Amino acid sequence: MEQGWGDGLPLIPPTEARVRGMIAQSGRFPDEVVAVMLPLRAEATVEKIAINAVMAGAPPEAMPLLIATVEAMTDPKFELASLNATTGSVVPAMIINGPIRHKLKIPFGAGCLGGVAGHAPAIGRAIRLLIRNVAGQQIDVTSQSTYGTPGRVAGIVFGEWEEKSPWAPLAERLGVKGDAVTVYGAMGTANICDMIGNTADHFLQIIGKSLAYPGANGFLPSSQWSEVLVAINPVWAEVVGKAYPNPEDVQQKLYDYASIPIDFLDPVYKEPIERIGRLKNGRVHLIQKPEEVFFMVAGGMGGLHAAMLHSWGTCLTTTRAIPQVADTETAAA
Amino acid sequence: MTKGYVLDPTGFRTDDNEDAGPPLPGLKGAVIGFRVDELWRSWDWVSEIWAEMLRQEGAEVRFWRAGGRTGPVGEKVIRELDEFTDELDAFVVGLANCGSCTSWTIHDALWGKKKGLPTVAVATRHFDELSQNLARRGGESALRRHILPYPLDIRQKAEVHDIAKDHYRPFLRTFGLRDRLAVEPAA
Repeated sequence: MEQGWGDGLPLIPPTEARVRGMIAQSGRFPDEVVAVMLPLRAEATVEKIAINAVMAGAPPEAMPLLIATVEAMTDPKFELASLNATTGSVVPAMIINGPIRHKLKIPFGAGCLGGVAGHAPAIGRAIRLLIRNVAGQQIDVTSQSTYGTPGRVAGIVFGEWEEKSPWAPLAERLGVKGDAVTVYGAMGTANICDMIGNTADHFLQIIGKSLAYPGANGFLPSSQWSEVLVAINPVWAEVVGKAYPNPEDVQQKLYDYASIPIDFLDPVYKEPIERIGRLKNGRVHLIQKPEEVFFMVAGGMGGLHAAMLHSWGTCLTTTRAIPQVADTETAAA
Repeated sequence: MTKGYVLDPTGFRTDDNEDAGPPLPGLKGAVIGFRVDELWRSWDWVSEIWAEMLRQEGAEVRFWRAGGRTGPVGEKVIRELDEFTDELDAFVVGLANCGSCTSWTIHDALWGKKKGLPTVAVATRHFDELSQNLARRGGESALRRHILPYPLDIRQKAEVHDIAKDHYRPFLRTFGLRDRLAVEPAA
């Protein structure tokens, strides 16, 4: 704490032995530069990633995932520099696909967005410590986040319940098969509840309309992008998947529903939206193109709820494959 | 007592250019470029007043509006920034009035400074420290920065125009015209 290395929670001392054990699971050399992290423009070496992972309590087997996550969020299209500086409450959420979900005990069922005992909080915290210690994000120094978000302590780390999904996994739809991490600039999580609907269109309608709240960043005239991420519970997913087996149809439906009539807004908000041509048939859409709607299957079999994660609006979602490391001895050799 | 040692988790950047860059030598005939944005109408209002006052003193003023920073749009914006700054004698960049836009303001200002242009980044008071920190982390802690009152964007146009007029001479001093203003011969 005195060194300014931590988040206020207890840290595991990053002794050389612990850090070496972590590096061994990466299959990489310790001084290898994985990325330059903004705004500090400091090098995230394999060793720095390992040190922060030890401090966070992450398991050594998570090293390939952590490295892939650093690569994904330092892709220029993710715009880490402004994400780290913004007044917004954005945090890079990590969505995990592939068999690695089971190996790392990444939650994708009940309680997957928080509360499941497992490695996800420590893995998310490792990324948060890297953003603090290497990227240099500090509140009131390099970050002006007006509120922050609980996700800035232990991240938002969850998986897709691929086995219950009627569609291809999210990462595969984004171009990466198998073990993969998708990094998404999330403005936190919010819940959608429906205890009345019983058809695919009911569920898509209540989700889509819930997405379209006027203060969402996607409605800002300055937002270049307005991606949105929806987690559909497996009970609803089965119903929706039968009616709409093509994921593009689901995206189109959510895009259509996620809009508000322009007259709902005061003229001071209406004018700039009209000026940039985002008005369609008297409505303004939260999302600018259907393909910017991301959805996945996650959540418990209790159903009744969906989760929506609005985007900040500048970061473009990035997906990276998580390489497999054969075993500790091979990796260390 | 046994002492244990731990490894340092932090990254750091030690290089820093403490030179503010060249001052603006004078206004007559100088091509001064304003980078405005898609966010802050208050910055449009300030820059239109400053532009008019600069023109009255013999400068040529140009404007460029920065857009999104990612994807194909972002690549286009960087090309435009490069082309715009190629044709200037001095560069005014704003407005650092939120977290991300401070990041972009400093990014674009450093682009101009590294081209050797007299460059001023404009921030509002609340984002003064952030702009300084980001300039330092960009290795250019001495970047010239002019600070406007905060909050600015919730004020009415006439009030912002008055602020712009009040800040015009201090803004020129930030550009390095401090001594020359007193001795520059009349036209």
